[in-house]
Amino acid sequence: MRTVLWAAAALLIATATPHAAEMLPIAQVKNSTGQVVILRSGGRLPAKAGDVLFVSDVIETGPDGAIGITFVDNTVFSTGPNSQLALDAFEFDSNNFRGSMLADMRQGTLAVVSGDIPRSSPGALKIKTPTAVLGVRGTTFAVLVYGER
Amino acid sequence: MRNLALALICAVLAGCTREALFVVLPNAEGGGTGAITVDDGKTVTTLDQPYAAAEARSGSAVPVEESRGNISVIFRRALAAQPALPHHFRLYFIIGTDRMTPESAAAYRSMFDDIKQRPVYQIEVIGHTDTLGDVRFNQTLSLERAAAVHELLVRDGADRAAITIAGRGKLDPVVPTADQVAEPRNRCVIVTVR
Repeated sequence: MRTVLWAAAALLIATATPHAAEMLPIAQVKNSTGQVVILRSGGRLPAKAGDVLFVSDVIETGPDGAIGITFVDNTVFSTGPNSQLALDAFEFDSNNFRGSMLADMRQGTLAVVSGDIPRSSPGALKIKTPTAVLGVRGTTFAVLVYGER
Repeated sequence: MRNLALALICAVLAGCTREALFVVLPNAEGGGTGAITVDDGKTVTTLDQPYAAAEARSGSAVPVEESRGNISVIFRRALAAQPALPHHFRLYFIIGTDRMTPESAAAYRSMFDDIKQRPVYQIEVIGHTDTLGDVRFNQTLSLERAAAVHELLVRDGADRAAITIAGRGKLDPVVPTADQVAEPRNRCVIVTVR
């Protein structure tokens, strides 16, 4: 009986741990104006200052929308109207500042001030667009992706 | 808005379909310009100067000239939404204690002013020590230093829920030294405000 319980506990821990790690906040919304929603687990949540963001969140801004967010590695993103940006992957170890990050810029405008990830791991911050992948070695830059909306 | 209209007109005309634009911007708060690379699957374009740009057209990315005026119009709203950049502050401590040096009071005040200017914020407080004494003593001391700063911040009205603290002991010194070296620059707490 005891063995079975331990096995069950081990299984719980094994399945719970990766999920918990996945659900660590990766960024915080610093400002949001106009229509801005976060697509998460099939839902649409209006974005407001102070909200935290997670891996797999998608940010969508309307014709009058704009949003500024800061990641836990101190990378800063800001997005203008009619934009769609997916936060596909993010890993960061605050002990050695190493990590990696992948964002998918599907449409619209994005301005970036890069933080600790590209500083400690050049090229580890990537931004995917429909035609090209952007690698970042630490700088301030902007991306525009023309869309169909 | 005008640019979107232009883009639409452009998209209708054959051979004029810009799919994306990539631009290096001048560093917001000084520091050297880094670089971005644009990889279209066939070639990699490196952009490493302020206002250097590349565009994607028919699946290929090539360097392109884009005027500063156009760049500022295209990215006006995105740039206007840029939050205050994260800032780091160093507070120094009296040897063997969790009391700040008198000189650090000014640094603490400018840090607090920075925090107050942010509508929402996160604060990371990391304590360090020099290499005098053993590992366990310094681990405790570094955490006590971080806790002292945390206490001050909360006393002054910072949101407790927005603050995280950690102590790195003597194992992760700001200025690397040999063991058992008194180094004032390592008796510090680094605060990141973002």
